[in-house]
Amino acid sequence: MTVEIPKSIEELPTSEARWVGKRTRRKEDAALLTGRTRFIEDLVLPGMLHCAILRSPFPHARIAKLDTSEASAQAGVVAVVTGEDALRWSQPAASAPEGWGTHCIASELVRFVGEPVAAVAATSRYVAEDALERIIVDYEPLEAVGDPFAAMEAESPLVIAEKGTNVMMQRLFTWGEVDQAFADAAHVFTEKFRWNRLGANPTETFGAVCEWDPMNLELTVHGSIQAPSFFALGRAATFGLPSNKVNVKSQAHGGSFGGKGGTRGTDIACMLSRKAGGRPVKWIEDRMEYLTSGGSQAWDRHYEVSLAVAGDGQVTGLRVKLVDDQGATGEGYAAISAAKPLAAFTGPYTIPVAEYDLTLVATNKLPAFPYRGFGPPPHFFVLEQMMDIAARSLEIDPAEFRRRNFIQPDQFPFTIPSGNEYDSGNYEEVLDQALSLAGYQELRREQAEAREAGRIVGIGVASAVEPGVFDWNAYRSVGVPGIGVPEGATVSIDILGMITVRVGFSLEGQGQYTLASQLVADYFGTDIDAVRVVQLDTQSAPPSFGPGGSRLGVAITGAVLGACERIREKMCAVTAVLMQTEPDQIKLRDGKFGIPGVPEASMTVAEVAGTMLARSDLLPPGVDPRPEATHVWTAAGRTEPDEQGRAKSYLTAAQAVHVVMVEIDRDTGFVEILKYCLADDCGTRLNPMVVQGQTEGSVAQGIGAALFEEYVYDADAQPLTATFMDYLIPTINEIPPTEKAEVVTPSPFTPLGAKGCGEGAIHTTPAAVMCAVNDALAPLGTMAREVPAAPNRVWNLIRATQS
Amino acid sequence: MTALVQIQLTVNGTSHEAHVEPRTTLADFLRSQLALTGTHLGCEHGVCGICTILVDGRAVRSCLMLAVQADGSEIMTVEGLGGADGKLHPIQEAFIEEHGLQCGFCTPGFLIAIYELLKDNPSPDDAEILDVLGGQICRCTGYQSILRAVHSAAAKLGAAGA
Repeated sequence: MTVEIPKSIEELPTSEARWVGKRTRRKEDAALLTGRTRFIEDLVLPGMLHCAILRSPFPHARIAKLDTSEASAQAGVVAVVTGEDALRWSQPAASAPEGWGTHCIASELVRFVGEPVAAVAATSRYVAEDALERIIVDYEPLEAVGDPFAAMEAESPLVIAEKGTNVMMQRLFTWGEVDQAFADAAHVFTEKFRWNRLGANPTETFGAVCEWDPMNLELTVHGSIQAPSFFALGRAATFGLPSNKVNVKSQAHGGSFGGKGGTRGTDIACMLSRKAGGRPVKWIEDRMEYLTSGGSQAWDRHYEVSLAVAGDGQVTGLRVKLVDDQGATGEGYAAISAAKPLAAFTGPYTIPVAEYDLTLVATNKLPAFPYRGFGPPPHFFVLEQMMDIAARSLEIDPAEFRRRNFIQPDQFPFTIPSGNEYDSGNYEEVLDQALSLAGYQELRREQAEAREAGRIVGIGVASAVEPGVFDWNAYRSVGVPGIGVPEGATVSIDILGMITVRVGFSLEGQGQYTLASQLVADYFGTDIDAVRVVQLDTQSAPPSFGPGGSRLGVAITGAVLGACERIREKMCAVTAVLMQTEPDQIKLRDGKFGIPGVPEASMTVAEVAGTMLARSDLLPPGVDPRPEATHVWTAAGRTEPDEQGRAKSYLTAAQAVHVVMVEIDRDTGFVEILKYCLADDCGTRLNPMVVQGQTEGSVAQGIGAALFEEYVYDADAQPLTATFMDYLIPTINEIPPTEKAEVVTPSPFTPLGAKGCGEGAIHTTPAAVMCAVNDALAPLGTMAREVPAAPNRVWNLIRATQS
Repeated sequence: MTALVQIQLTVNGTSHEAHVEPRTTLADFLRSQLALTGTHLGCEHGVCGICTILVDGRAVRSCLMLAVQADGSEIMTVEGLGGADGKLHPIQEAFIEEHGLQCGFCTPGFLIAIYELLKDNPSPDDAEILDVLGGQICRCTGYQSILRAVHSAAAKLGAAGA
């Protein structure tokens, strides 16, 4: 059965949508605001034990001796596991690229600070941490490597010796006649950039409660898990269990942003549960564990970028060389962050040819994980700096320079050189809205006056594309298989007409349960409070990935509306029999099934559902009597990547322009944001309030990336940022108010025309802020090539110009 | 295991007597012994402010205080703010209306900090709000909606008190 999903809000079977497209208050909020939502740390099971993990203080060392006997003997300790158990009971972690995973507990070698070497399950966390102090480990420190260029040298110590190299992957993607474009260019600009490690830091760290069933050889994991079904497959692989013997139930959780991590801790808790005869074992990662040893770190990048530009300011070619420090293993799938720029390599511009020289390197730092936006935010940071370098050299205003290179509205759908197809857009309109909001010309006058007065003031204008609705095919080049990411939902109407939606993901913050309710309420003409959303575990749910890659808003809209359509078809068939007509004569409108033009022929959704479940005598023979349907949505038209990684991958392309004004304190190097304006286009806004929230939140994370956040390691790969005193999350004092304008160009390819927008402004904010910083520094003859532009760095740049 | 210490304290209007280890933090005590799990832990080293509660009317980080130090004190947690009777406190209502929360994990700490602020200063300006909320970390919202919610809550409380 083919299901037609409405392509616009107007196509919903309602005279006027009451919820979809409206600022709809979230049904999640009351429980969250009263402390009633159960997070993983709130979960208590009978007989539950608590896990604490002993971690390596060395970045690279041989474990000469490990003695857990005293810990095992301590009162309250029920189980202890070490690397021996990991070797006996588990496989190395799945990884990207494949084959770069290690066991969840080190057995002979430790490869990064924070790598687990033993773990304890005890009657309380306090007792478990006491026991860690009784474990004796003798380490023989080995030479460590913390720099990816050093790691590529022949004499470098090897992170995983069996690999024979620290280069995890080296790949040159060439899209078009790049050499020719650069040979023909009137101008070629080349620059190096450094993006330092930063990461997700959700306010809740990772946690899990694991139960190993020793009789049935089944595993149950409750946890703060972003993508439960993917997580379940990983555990099945780790423990060699059939996939239907692993059940994962994600709790409502305190944010993820791609960096929830938690696989090692979960596997350790699973082994402890197994050793403890199946008692549930809770592991709650603390913040210092998260910062040094969790899914906290992403994007450790060294760039060399070249731009070919014609005399008229048309950009004719882009070369990006990236050396990406992945840390000790590929267990965090951080390689996908390096591959994702293929989905939007040339940003919002018509750059016709491009090249990506990509090298992934292992070092003795924490394995990198994804972070909001995955890979493009650093990519757009370097692309936008290059656009400004070119504009400055050609003496073209940066806004005008971008305008000349934008993809035009009549060029969509537009295939970029790296293969992805952008669905729709109106980039000049977004630019004009942003410039108008900022009062751009007046802002330039203010800047000139400020410079006259000796102040260091800059304006950044940056644009980026947010690939939305991720697809596995985008990551084929780093060894991840699959095309399509199915998302399912089941919609059920009960005998009294009450509606329940069942989904496979948990609350994370983006208001998806409210969205599902908005859709169903408008579709069947009910009040939004009458719709209930229930989360299922991975053994009960329809195929589901959950939030990630700016996809769930679009995907769950497709799944829920598809299920509604299927129910409508069933109900039309039943109503047609009752009204003695053909099913195609029956229409659903405003919660009633009837025959258009025949007012007396009308039944409410509840009446039809009640008939289906309580009046079998009235039903046509062979009809399915359940007013219930499941629909599994997946993006249409996704393609197999070619030999250069080109594919239709991400389904949508949202776009934004940010205009930022900053002032740099000459004496301290501190960057203050004076004004922040943005315009964006993410198609139909299903809940404008939630979209605004995603935008404001991702601006804040982008500002953190540009100015504050950095994981610092010393030369020997020892982490120096182990607390929130060292790793600087922006507070309310660092985040300025933003002025915002909206452009709406619906996607022609998605349910209701919505585009992925959850990752949002982090694609544009770091680029825009750094463009502003460099605009400020330009008259001084210097440039910030390194992110974050923290005061020490900026102060040193300014001081160097004075000597 | 060290000897347990007897303490008495009032939490959200209810008196409790309990025996605790001297090393038990106030946050852990409230969460595990009193099952008041609305108080969340974000960093356990006193920076993020997520575990903020009121002790004798003042906002404190419950991760940095021991339960034994709270002996004899009067405590308020998010569970005492509103919702027990199905009705929300105006600050909570303002958070819903202004979308002042996303994942909601940091929210209890914000609510308590704002409750204390508005108790002392019923109509704070932006600078006064920033001064207080600078001690609270939120990773989802970017704070702007929280700032709007504080102003809205102040107006609601002002109208209710007038």
